[in-house]
Amino acid sequence: MSPVIPLGPFHPALEEPYKVEVTTTGETITDAEITVGFNFRGIEWLAERKTYTQDIALLERVCGICSNVHTLMFCRAVEKIADLEVPARAKFIRVIVAEAERLHSHLLWAGVACNLIGFETLFMTCFSLREQVMDVLEGISGNRVNYAMNRPGGVNRDITDPASILDAVRTIADVTAKQLIPVMTTDRTVRARCSGVGILTREDAIAYGAVGPMARASGLATDIRKSAPYLVYDQLTFDVPVRSEGDVFARIVVRALEILESCKIIEQAIDMMPAGPIAGGLFLAVPAGEAAIRIEAPRGEVVYYMESNGTDMPARVRVRTPTFANMPTVRVMAIGQGLSDLGLIQASIDPCYSCNDR
Amino acid sequence: MAILRAAIQMLLFPGLVYAVSASFFMLWLQRKINARLQGRIGPPFYQPFFDFVKLLGKQPIGRPMLQGFVMTALPVAAVAAMLGAVALLPVLPSGAEFPGDLVLLVALIEVGPLLAVLGGFVSRSMWGELGAAREAVMTAVYNLPFLTALIALGWTSDLSISKLATTATWPVRFLALAAILLCLPAKLHLNPFSISSAEQEIYAGVTTEYDGPRLALWELAHGLEWVALAGLFAVLSVPLPGVADVWRILVFLAISVLVVVLLSVAAASTARLKLAQTARWFWLWGLLLAGSALGLTLAGI
Repeated sequence: MSPVIPLGPFHPALEEPYKVEVTTTGETITDAEITVGFNFRGIEWLAERKTYTQDIALLERVCGICSNVHTLMFCRAVEKIADLEVPARAKFIRVIVAEAERLHSHLLWAGVACNLIGFETLFMTCFSLREQVMDVLEGISGNRVNYAMNRPGGVNRDITDPASILDAVRTIADVTAKQLIPVMTTDRTVRARCSGVGILTREDAIAYGAVGPMARASGLATDIRKSAPYLVYDQLTFDVPVRSEGDVFARIVVRALEILESCKIIEQAIDMMPAGPIAGGLFLAVPAGEAAIRIEAPRGEVVYYMESNGTDMPARVRVRTPTFANMPTVRVMAIGQGLSDLGLIQASIDPCYSCNDR
Repeated sequence: MAILRAAIQMLLFPGLVYAVSASFFMLWLQRKINARLQGRIGPPFYQPFFDFVKLLGKQPIGRPMLQGFVMTALPVAAVAAMLGAVALLPVLPSGAEFPGDLVLLVALIEVGPLLAVLGGFVSRSMWGELGAAREAVMTAVYNLPFLTALIALGWTSDLSISKLATTATWPVRFLALAAILLCLPAKLHLNPFSISSAEQEIYAGVTTEYDGPRLALWELAHGLEWVALAGLFAVLSVPLPGVADVWRILVFLAISVLVVVLLSVAAASTARLKLAQTARWFWLWGLLLAGSALGLTLAGI
């Protein structure tokens, strides 16, 4: 009989709780079953019992890394229902914060991936870059994690020192292009650990509905910023990196190239940012209605559905995070792989169980 | 006079006093180099010693009597074996050499990992057992080229470590030392072969369940392993017949430190390989080097 090995909910290297029970023959995984929900906080339920203003603070706490995405989604849903106009400058500021957050998320993930394959030096490089992004975000918003930038109809704070942001972004782009990417793509030990590991074919990526960098590393050119542009993404020039290999190595490369693209976007947005107000006036009430919004978060497509009934509290807020879409792919990727690769495969989807469980 | 020299060798240099102080120094040097390469400041030089003293002062978790006894005895034995190995290093001619002392030295060096494997299993922890299993496989992986290289070096000198340094020819010496240098990161649990202490996969591996003085002793044994292996490489690499003792000591210290620097830099610039990849690597490249050294010796070159 093949032994079933429970890995998790607490894993030596992955900080958040989630459980994979793997059936093995020797070192090879023959089946895997995924259990989630250890981090459930009832945020959707709470959101229906708080006012719109309180919900912004609540939804910011869905995720500890892409916190800005959730307030942005919520505010855009409110704007859509209440038909609020967002000033142009606010749209650019939203793009800058969103892309800085993508830098933060990707650098953090790259660091975690390096840590998982035991490459401590590269892990430190990634985290020192991430520190600079956090400084940028702190400079803009006054906060390092929950930025509290968005409000229905605009943003809360203006960008007053664009030069310092440009400096930091250029350093990050420089170090990423000259150090991070060359080491990650040419180091033989990194290749040995990541090439051909955890392959998700194009067909499987479509069948399982993979999103974001996961799908792009499996040859699917999906990016909401291109296919359904929001804010001012249609005015900015950037590429969507796509790789066809579908292994962990391809995911590393896709995310590393996205770091460079995000830097490009921030530079353009700062150049093009018009002067003007950063938010509209106060809105009095949200009329009855519903809205579905999707945007490209660092980990992939996030979908929000909101229904309002004309009171000061939303009737329904539904959150679908990219981790929920990507999680089932772990099973197909793990089957046939060695037990010692499982941690890396789990991490390669850039999972956020906190978002997933809400 | 011979007794005095032997006593000095056992207790002062390269025995107890040197071995223990050098072990703390080498542990620090490795951490410091690693930190500097990663853009961090790194610990002050006394940190490993303070860590050791702090661990010694901690009260260990209560365990069943027999388990507690074995878990204490194993690291004590590991420290003793490593101290013996360092004291045997023929840095200075002591007159107490005997044919085959290389076998004793290697046996003492190998006792450490074997005791660690036992230590992992008696700790009754899943992670300890996984670490022990990995360590056991690793000893089979790296010892094949390591021992082949030593045999190649010692073939012409009756396996006597002090004579071997002068009798081996340069081509043999070069190949064999390269093979030994390849094996050192695996023996010291360093990247890219840090498989048995992969904290992201199996926490602390063998020592997961060890605490307080028991853990302190394992740490000391690990430090002494650094001293013994760096020292072994040093005495094998440069033959110094008829050279003044001071110069012998200085060259020995310089090469030991150089080995630590080399291994630390290699560890900081690599990721961790998997067990199967490591085995393939050692049995190909390690054996190729060590095997050619042995071939050259047998051919009399």
